[in-house]
Amino acid sequence: MNISVKIGNAVFPNPVTVASGTFGHSEDFYDLEEVRKLGAILPKTVTRYAQEGNPPPRICETPAGMINAIGIENPGIDVFIAEKLPRLQKTGVPLIVSVLGHIPEEFAECVEKLNAAGGIAAIELNLSCPNLQKKVLVAQDPEATAALVSRLKKISQYPLIAKLSPNVTDISAIALAAEAAGADAVSLVNTFTAMAIDVGKRRSRIGNFTGGLSGPAIRPIAVRMVWEVAQKVKVPVIGMGGITTADDALEFLIAGATMVAVGTYNFVNPRAPLEVLEGIKAYMKANKMTDIKELIGSVQR
Amino acid sequence: MKKIQHKLKILSNKQICGKYFQLVLQAKELAPRLKPGQFIHIKVTDGFEPLFRRPFSVFRARNGKVEVFYDPVGRGTRILAAKEKGETVDVLGPLGTPFTLPGKDIKQVVFIAGGIGVAPFLLFADVLKLHKAEKILLYGARSREHTFPMTEFKKAGVKTFVATEDGSVGVKGRVSELFSKITIDPATTMIYTCGPRAMMAAVQQFTKGAGLKGEGSMEEVMACGLGACLGCSIKTTKGYRTVCHDGPVFALEELIFNC
Repeated sequence: MNISVKIGNAVFPNPVTVASGTFGHSEDFYDLEEVRKLGAILPKTVTRYAQEGNPPPRICETPAGMINAIGIENPGIDVFIAEKLPRLQKTGVPLIVSVLGHIPEEFAECVEKLNAAGGIAAIELNLSCPNLQKKVLVAQDPEATAALVSRLKKISQYPLIAKLSPNVTDISAIALAAEAAGADAVSLVNTFTAMAIDVGKRRSRIGNFTGGLSGPAIRPIAVRMVWEVAQKVKVPVIGMGGITTADDALEFLIAGATMVAVGTYNFVNPRAPLEVLEGIKAYMKANKMTDIKELIGSVQR
Repeated sequence: MKKIQHKLKILSNKQICGKYFQLVLQAKELAPRLKPGQFIHIKVTDGFEPLFRRPFSVFRARNGKVEVFYDPVGRGTRILAAKEKGETVDVLGPLGTPFTLPGKDIKQVVFIAGGIGVAPFLLFADVLKLHKAEKILLYGARSREHTFPMTEFKKAGVKTFVATEDGSVGVKGRVSELFSKITIDPATTMIYTCGPRAMMAAVQQFTKGAGLKGEGSMEEVMACGLGACLGCSIKTTKGYRTVCHDGPVFALEELIFNC
């Protein structure tokens, strides 16, 4: 059974990864034998310089979901490359590093530093985090998306994946702009801007006021968006949004995703990505599929 | 690497006093690994309502059993309260950075707790059974209903002092009324505290003024419980730190209370 997939020239042994920001680097908690089975590891977004993140409360639980406004707390790319990257590389699992720049120059510097560091498989461009006090995200503007992807494609040694925002009128337009500018893949969805109010205190439950919604509640919208985008672009699509089980992941694959990512549900079941992988294999076996290509985009029209 | 995900059988789940329920889980493999101040993260439903696990300080871990107690105030704990003996729950643990054990030269160990914050200190007392220090518990609660019984603490060799806001048990007032029970000798005293933030802020003030060393156990809304999502981060003098992984135990002087 062939379940390996490609993005640009990067090869992944299977289509299952983790959504950026949901997988810790704390080796104390992850069984290395199990982590090694992942198709890719996609750690939390790093920025050019260290960021503190947003004031608490940073998360709140919502019906079948959660709102987060972590605010990309991270030690900055220099510390990431020096301290975290080597430990991640020791797993032997292909790494997709997520980067974010507040200005295009910062994105470029991050890409250049990763070129120099080496030993990764691809770079995911976080164009879509909704928790950084920006009026308009790059991923909300097709022209800004195209300009940035184009600029970074010229300098990157690694395939580029554009992480898209669902907080747009037409996500396919952004996906097409990213593709035309040279993106090797698109990943969707990032979180939906959302809010929850503490009725007793008459205050937002999130310190940053609004945050991003994720989890099972968003899955039907995410599946629809992945399907829509996969119809329009030729590059691979990494699909995510509320995946908890293999059946959830299969919806995305059948809708057209080449890879799937488990995010929020890692917090509930740390083994979820592995259970998803086992379930995909079991499904393919039961349906006599020998190559994952038979599964991807196989939704009947 | 030792496993952290366990499916544990409920041995009992009963209302033990006033507001509090006590849950006892069969955990032969997990129990001996739990240290004072650590917690377990329990999945209370197979579905998505509520989505997150719920964290519980470990109250006792001996004879292959893990005990926690809780106040069923929220959606998650109310579902937990309805579970019966024989049912299985999915548990992550041991989680969190434990309390630092007092050195041999410590002669006085003082636990200062408020309400449900008294939970980690019985396990701590069990662990310190052979430590020669005098163990004191200063315990504050709102009323009799909110007061956890002191019997097990006394049996574990802890000298207990209680204050309730309405005077229904012990001294009338806040736990700060009991600070005079502490012999101020910085070189031989360790303070450990857990409870409402206003109480912990008062303890921090007191220890700072008296030159005493201490640690506090914090609480915050948690998603992953593993230090991955950074959702439970609190501001400390060293920057943001996760309550679930860097904590829940922090050096008292590092904590920042905005009360």
